[in-house]
Amino acid sequence: MMSTWLRLFTLQASWTDERLQGIGAAFAVEPLLRELSDASDERYRAALARSAGYFNTHPFFAGLALGAIARAERDGVEMRRVERLRSALKGPLGSLGDRLIWAGVLPLASAVGLVLTALGHPVAGIVALLVIFNVAHLALWLWGLPTGWRLGTAVAQSLQNLALQRALALFGPMAACAVGFALPVVGVHLLTGLSPDVRLAAMALAGATVIVLRVVYPGFGAARLGTFAAAAALIMGWIWG
Amino acid sequence: MASENWLLLLLWGTLVGLDLIAVPQVMIARPLVAGLVAGFIAGDPMAGAAVGMVLELFALEVLPFGAARYPDYGLGAVAGAIVAAGAPTVVAVGIAVGVGLGVAVLGDVGIQTVRRFNTADLSRHRAQIDAGERRAIVGLHLRCLSREAIRAVGLTSLGLGCAAVVHSVSFMDLRSAVALHAAVIGVGVGAFASNAVRLARFRRQQLAWLGVGVMAGFAWVMFT
Repeated sequence: MMSTWLRLFTLQASWTDERLQGIGAAFAVEPLLRELSDASDERYRAALARSAGYFNTHPFFAGLALGAIARAERDGVEMRRVERLRSALKGPLGSLGDRLIWAGVLPLASAVGLVLTALGHPVAGIVALLVIFNVAHLALWLWGLPTGWRLGTAVAQSLQNLALQRALALFGPMAACAVGFALPVVGVHLLTGLSPDVRLAAMALAGATVIVLRVVYPGFGAARLGTFAAAAALIMGWIWG
Repeated sequence: MASENWLLLLLWGTLVGLDLIAVPQVMIARPLVAGLVAGFIAGDPMAGAAVGMVLELFALEVLPFGAARYPDYGLGAVAGAIVAAGAPTVVAVGIAVGVGLGVAVLGDVGIQTVRRFNTADLSRHRAQIDAGERRAIVGLHLRCLSREAIRAVGLTSLGLGCAAVVHSVSFMDLRSAVALHAAVIGVGVGAFASNAVRLARFRRQQLAWLGVGVMAGFAWVMFT
């Protein structure tokens, strides 16, 4: 179990366009399947090959899915049912993780870190970011694998877990509120010290950015837009300088 | 900068690049963290914090759902912090964030390239993997992990190279530096606002909470 736990941290290291997390999932779950090899090497190899197939879910909920799948393999559940369990878990766990972690815990941690840095406490900012995020990360990591292993094919019950439901209800609004709070605090901090005309230009550019990224070309991405804006500013600076 | 610091920066960049997707996703790849630590190593933590903060505004766009593509802002922050170290803030932040954004975009290209190599590697060993050969699976996994590390080392080296160029050639006048500073801050704040709206719309009732937060933030700014 401990070996699988540690290997879960590398789940996404072998991402491929064809099987997404499949190879990483097989690498992580392999120690749990090893006891199958004592009974029958053929069963072990068949289970390992199935584990290396197409798989994609939220990485922090993967332990829950892989624990349940490994348990089903160990209990000798029919191959077709194992395959069905595998595809049935991917979507719901992915969606759950996206809502809880990427749209909840991470933006909350990031906003708290930004506000503390803007208030002049950068070390406290990164400590807060890392602690908020990793408490949730490690809690899911510790809970997921043994829960999946304990419940096996009945793993869907675990999604009714009260703490998980409460976290889902809490983190989204908390993240939205924290990001909203960070927006004026960080914006004012960054614009302080600039001359009024430069500040006005930056604010106009911020407004234009919102329009471009939300209305005109949402798929363009902030990094590309920022790179273009930086290059344009350099060229204009040279021309006017 | 001493050669030990260059090596430490290369090591830190590698860890940051690996943390984004491969291992262990504990968020040292967030620009705020990556930038501040790189700043510490480079001898200017405040410059690292300033660059990390601006790039963190951009990074809220990264909601890595499924197989989404996204820039590597962590490595961008490492590169930016190295560029900014030791220079006056108003001159340094603009060019450093500009370099950081370039590295972040290249990081995305690097991720896609690594995945193409991984897929080709998988095709070469498909028979063994589909036969459940443990060695083939473990070998493929470790080779993929090494490719991620190579990507991170390459991009951090690029950041170090950019820093060396920027530090040795003083090609920017103050006017260009201020224009660049305003451009990256403007786009950064705009990107943060845009992504805050997107995040809140993930569940519609969160828009109200976003509004509450914005009002509280303005109140904080006005009364403190």
